[in-house]
Amino acid sequence: MSAALEIRGLEAGYGPLSVLHGIDLSVADGERVGILGLNGHGKTTMLRAIVDLVDWKRGEILLNGEDITHATTHALARRGVVLMPQGDALFPGLTVKDNLDAGAYPGGSWKRRKERRDYVCEIFPRLGERLGQVVGTLSGGERRMCSIGRGLMSEARIYLVDEPSLGLGPGIAKGICDTLLGLDLQGGALLIAEQNRALIDGKIDRALRMHGGELAPDTGEDGGH
Amino acid sequence: MTGVIVTTINLTAIYALVALGISLTWSGLGFLNLSTGAMYAGAAYGAWLVATNISSNVVVVLLGGVIVGAALGALICLTVFLPLDGKPNWELRTLTATLALSFVGTNIYLWQFGPQFKQFDPLFDFIREFRIGETLVQPSKTGTVIATGILIAIILAFISYSRIGLGVRALTQSVEGAALVGINRRTTAFAILGVSGAFIGLAAVLLGQIYFVEPNSGYSPMIKGLIVALLGGLGSLRGAVIAAFLVAFAEAVTLQYLGGSWVLITLFVLIAVVLIIRPRGIAGVLEGTRA
Repeated sequence: MSAALEIRGLEAGYGPLSVLHGIDLSVADGERVGILGLNGHGKTTMLRAIVDLVDWKRGEILLNGEDITHATTHALARRGVVLMPQGDALFPGLTVKDNLDAGAYPGGSWKRRKERRDYVCEIFPRLGERLGQVVGTLSGGERRMCSIGRGLMSEARIYLVDEPSLGLGPGIAKGICDTLLGLDLQGGALLIAEQNRALIDGKIDRALRMHGGELAPDTGEDGGH
Repeated sequence: MTGVIVTTINLTAIYALVALGISLTWSGLGFLNLSTGAMYAGAAYGAWLVATNISSNVVVVLLGGVIVGAALGALICLTVFLPLDGKPNWELRTLTATLALSFVGTNIYLWQFGPQFKQFDPLFDFIREFRIGETLVQPSKTGTVIATGILIAIILAFISYSRIGLGVRALTQSVEGAALVGINRRTTAFAILGVSGAFIGLAAVLLGQIYFVEPNSGYSPMIKGLIVALLGGLGSLRGAVIAAFLVAFAEAVTLQYLGGSWVLITLFVLIAVVLIIRPRGIAGVLEGTRA
């Protein structure tokens, strides 16, 4: 069986700065993997490197056995690699509905956007109440829901989730993480980067620790030094 | 006063078209298209060729201008946007490249068509002229407003309801977000520049039936369009339409009470004052969104 996502010897960075120093990782179909680690150790860079949003990278990235190392961001989205990024990267001047529909942009999903939208609104009823509202006027928590909801608008082979709790109060962060990790992803794998172990503990299949740009097995201890 | 109002509405239509063309390209792709003037003249010549060789039917001539404008937009995409996208110094290089293309265009027109003025036969003669109070409303003005309304309605519908239209709107908001949902900026660029060109092309025919067409006839509308687009807040489509109205009104009042030679002076004073108070133009007022 080929892994949903396979990363071999990945190095990546920005300009002269090298952030990742040889990452090896394999995520099986339907598997949920957590990446724990402190800020600034490369979690975000790893996720961004997968979808080609870093300055440079070396190594190999395979999606179901096919080489996607040099595929562009938009092409990867069409092939089912969906990033729910830090900072959300939403379209602030567009409505919630348009933001969600944009998540179904890749050809096949577009025709099913209405049923997918209903599905997302079932998951996050708050979005359903605000479909006509401009995203720039939403609260931080609602925006995060919208960003995750946009990612869920297409049936991805792997969802990459970058710190869904960032900048949110503990209550709403827990609510969003619980909802997301409680979903049936219909065979899609999930790779989630999170600083706060408590938010994902027990809801994922296994965890790894990112430290200084390298991945190591998780020791089960909390982040401090 | 009715004269001022009629002139204002007529000019609003034309300035809104040019400014929408400039503003859409800016917000969707992030560059200022200084070959707008050359596209304008090109579309006017295209429509003139259609009118003299194919048919002088109003719909055919207007479509001719719109299609030639859109095609020139696609040409800008091929020759400027695609080669320079993602390169260092992008802002300066696109400015230089579009300015250069504009000179190339002007000289091609001079070479092909000569410096003589070309003129359209009246396009809207089938519309009856009518009076509002003292003011006679010529068919050309009525036709201009109707044609502009139709094109803007069609393009707004396309941008608001189609999949590609959503891609265009997404690109104006976040380049990274657009890439993450699978929108290909390079192919969507053809839609953006095509639509921008269509707006400019229609403006060219509508003004061309009132003034003349000559190789340099696009520069003055481009300057007005830039003023309107800046005043509206580059990138804001609603801002562009509101600014078009303000500029048109300022121009109509100036024409009526000070004379034609004062028009550009008034407009530059207007833009200076607005930008001193509101550096992001009218759009700054419209956007109630959080950063």
